[in-house]
Amino acid sequence: MANQTGNMHDAQNRLSQVASHMNATGRAGLLEKRPDDIVVTAALRTPITKGGKGGFKDTAGADLLHGAFTSLIQRSGIDPSLVEDIAVGNVLAPGGGATEFRAAALAAGFPDSAAVRSLNRQCSSGLQACVDIANAIRSGMIEIGIGAGVESMSTQYGPGAVTEFSELLENHPAAANCKVPMGVLSEQMAKDRHISRQDQDQFAVESYRKAGVAQKQGLFDEETAPLKVKWTDPKTDEEKEITVSVDDGVREVTMQSIGKIKPAFAKDGSIHAGNASQISDGAAAVLLMKRSTAERLGQKVLGKYVSASVLGVPPLLMGIGPWKAIPVALEKAGISKDDVDIYEINEAFASQCLWCAKELGIPMEKINPKGGAIAFGHPLGCTGARQVSTLLYELRRTNKKVGVSSMCVGTGMGMAAVWVSE
Amino acid sequence: MLEFRTAGFNPYSTKYSPFHDSRLAVSAGANFGLVGNGRLYILNLTPNGIACEKYFETQDCLFDTAWSEQHENQLLTAGGDGSLKLFDLGVAGAFPVAGWQEHGREVFSVHWGLVEKGQFLSSSWDGTVKIWTPERKESLVTLPVHSCVYSAQFSPHHPAIVTCVSRDSHLRVYDLRTKASAQNHLTLAVPIHAPPKLPVPGYGQGSVGPSECLTHDWNKYRDSVLATAGVDGVIRTFDLRNPSGPVNLLPGHEYAVRKISWSPHLSDVLLSASYDMTCRVWTDGSNVEKGGNGAGFGRELGRMDAHTEFAMGVDWCLFGAEGWCATCAWDERVLVWDVREYMRPA
Repeated sequence: MANQTGNMHDAQNRLSQVASHMNATGRAGLLEKRPDDIVVTAALRTPITKGGKGGFKDTAGADLLHGAFTSLIQRSGIDPSLVEDIAVGNVLAPGGGATEFRAAALAAGFPDSAAVRSLNRQCSSGLQACVDIANAIRSGMIEIGIGAGVESMSTQYGPGAVTEFSELLENHPAAANCKVPMGVLSEQMAKDRHISRQDQDQFAVESYRKAGVAQKQGLFDEETAPLKVKWTDPKTDEEKEITVSVDDGVREVTMQSIGKIKPAFAKDGSIHAGNASQISDGAAAVLLMKRSTAERLGQKVLGKYVSASVLGVPPLLMGIGPWKAIPVALEKAGISKDDVDIYEINEAFASQCLWCAKELGIPMEKINPKGGAIAFGHPLGCTGARQVSTLLYELRRTNKKVGVSSMCVGTGMGMAAVWVSE
Repeated sequence: MLEFRTAGFNPYSTKYSPFHDSRLAVSAGANFGLVGNGRLYILNLTPNGIACEKYFETQDCLFDTAWSEQHENQLLTAGGDGSLKLFDLGVAGAFPVAGWQEHGREVFSVHWGLVEKGQFLSSSWDGTVKIWTPERKESLVTLPVHSCVYSAQFSPHHPAIVTCVSRDSHLRVYDLRTKASAQNHLTLAVPIHAPPKLPVPGYGQGSVGPSECLTHDWNKYRDSVLATAGVDGVIRTFDLRNPSGPVNLLPGHEYAVRKISWSPHLSDVLLSASYDMTCRVWTDGSNVEKGGNGAGFGRELGRMDAHTEFAMGVDWCLFGAEGWCATCAWDERVLVWDVREYMRPA
């Protein structure tokens, strides 16, 4: 009898071996649909508005998140009681925002059985949240989860965002570099790597142009969930209720108009307000589950999560993060850079985004086809989750398949993830 | 085209006898080799088609077979139960004349030494390659690979060089003359999925991920050239004089390639059998006389798609005209055909 069970076990092993020989590899393998794929069934964001003067200037971060949550529940039709865990990326909220994000989930209609946590990996927090949830689903810890990100830079950005360094850290050269402001170090990097102001401005103008066209054609409509908020008119001090439905940072910019802006970090510098990401407010959320779960629940699949990478670079060269992270994510996915149709690389600064793209040899038309953070803003913790909806809807609209989202991360890191649209 | 049905058994491997131009061996297993008996067929090519001269039954699937290079009546089998068996056609009865049991799991390949004909080797799912001699009950050497070894071979040019390919996407080269050390005779481990040295048209430059390598074969004329193939469906050629990446890529098969074999007659031609049910003939572009420049681009020369299930085995006939070959597939058929009839117009 024992022998027989042994035989059955062998037969099972041989069968799975032959089955594994049938797995296609490379891009073809990536496009195959499997029941254990981690799929996105809804991805959306609030509009992104200008810090300090935009539509969300008087709205708390948790309220933005609440808006993203309610829209996500409504659009996906998911039963909120099935959601087991929610991860929220955030950079600036005191205490990581843990308390108010849990409260926002409850207010949005999630029952108390849905767990919530916040996390902070600087500018990649939103992506990290999505990846953490995807990994928790893959490992079997949860079945359905939400990766989200939110930032209210209007209310929480400022000198208090970084704790004073101790004497120990101040006296350690590499550690002390973590505190060098990103503008200053990016200016140095642009100088060292010969990224001219002309090229940066060109890149920025292009970002504005693409975002402007996309906005006019309504290409952001599918990913954006309008939000009704209270807003104080700065002229009259009158509090009104307004509905914010578009990104208000997008505007007409030309080489002439951008050429007049003075460098922000050094007199002879090349980085200025026009070719760096905007300070903004916004929230985004992504609903994730296994394909088998989505099919059981009748959830429509928007795309799937494939792989992600995270790694460190010298703090003073934080801008090169995507250059280091993207090839690793591609290798994990088993594809080459040419297999990717669209790259969403966060435009923290035109200089670093441009450098990464050139160094990786990615054609410009594949990068940020609807513009990026230079044109519509970079709400720190939100951006990584925002890119998922931007990417998946653009892939779907253009009938393309494979996308990569990536960003550089303050203190010297890079993160990237591979997604497939369906 | 000649055909033989292995009713009730699904073939895994076929080999022409090195002594007789009309003799063929086929190893097979019941139920696609998943569970049940194995069978070794000895087939004769006769004026009236293929006739079964004899068959031997075993308790587990036979994944591979190799003719002895010393003795015209003897051949070796690779068993699913980890055993190696030597059968002799001249001996009456249903049992092997010798057997070896050291592998802990399925043996996937056996190969007889082509230079030092007193030795043979085996490779197994247990992650080892073992070298044996018919006279001893124990193996002479065990080469640990630490990954399921689908295929191992002696170099046809040198008795001490052994190569293998495995699940971990590496081609390993062992030199048995080196001292047994922590390296266990390993002299080279080439990542098969590394990008090619020169760009290949229609194929991305970047490194693709690793994928299981199922088969490899030494070129019979160029003593540093090998070909590998596996789950990604791409056949790659390597030159061990410059081993950091493949020399040539031959993409085309839609599914995994199960077996490849270089022609014994033409230095640039090889034959493949794939899970996509086709058997294809390729040139690696190296033949100067045919317009290649020694490192030209390879291409598919022709394909035979008469099999109706996964094609598992191919072998070239060593004798006579240069195009005859045998293929076997899970459709319970062995086909003997002339490659030249399936060539595409150039």
